Amino acid sequence: MFGAFRPTQTNLVGLLWKTPWKLSRTRKANVRARLKQVDSVIEAVRASGVQCKALDQALELPKEHEMPPRDKYTVFSRHTKGYRKGIHKVPKWTRLTLRTNPKGF
Amino acid sequence: MFSATLRSRAASSASLQSRSLATAAAPSSSSSGEPLTHYRITLRRSAIALPMNIKGTLAALGIHRRLQTVFHRHTPDIAGKILTIKELVTVENVPESAVRTKWEQRQERKASRGYEVAGSKLGAEP
Repeated sequence: MFGAFRPTQTNLVGLLWKTPWKLSRTRKANVRARLKQVDSVIEAVRASGVQCKALDQALELPKEHEMPPRDKYTVFSRHTKGYRKGIHKVPKWTRLTLRTNPKGF
Repeated sequence: MFSATLRSRAASSASLQSRSLATAAAPSSSSSGEPLTHYRITLRRSAIALPMNIKGTLAALGIHRRLQTVFHRHTPDIAGKILTIKELVTVENVPESAVRTKWEQRQERKASRGYEVAGSKLGAEP
């Protein structure tokens, strides 16, 4: 039952990577920290006093404290049942802007 | 004296509360009356495997490696570039006097040599 040669799923079927269905508490805390970090960048640019289209668009994004948990940890997916999947299923998700979702979903 | 300690304590507790937004809160407090004219941009996250426009934006800002810091003036084009890569960098507004070139940043990082050259007898009158 124990030991290096125990019959686990990983040993029996070869390549088997499992992505958890939802984020752990720690990963969610890291998500929030990253969102706040991005908020601070936008705030710094706003405080500098320049005006540009990119800034207007960035200011329209919801801030971390304004976002519902649903938007922080999941994204819209048209293929998934319930139209939502974990945000960690999106490639490069920690370095992308994924704050808004289609209205009603 | 006592009130001064109290005030500093209150200030420190306020800074503790807003620690996550320290970069945002810093510009108003850190300046000593000097106008904030520059962005201090530090690359925190690598752009490996991100689209070419993101990598090109980093190159356009003069950033070539992680944790590199560059300074740029407050202009709309620089602001747009920062917002393109907002997930990768930390940004702070600093006055003109805080701007450092790459060489100056390197000199500030260096450890002191432990001695100072007071003078030289070479080339002096015998």
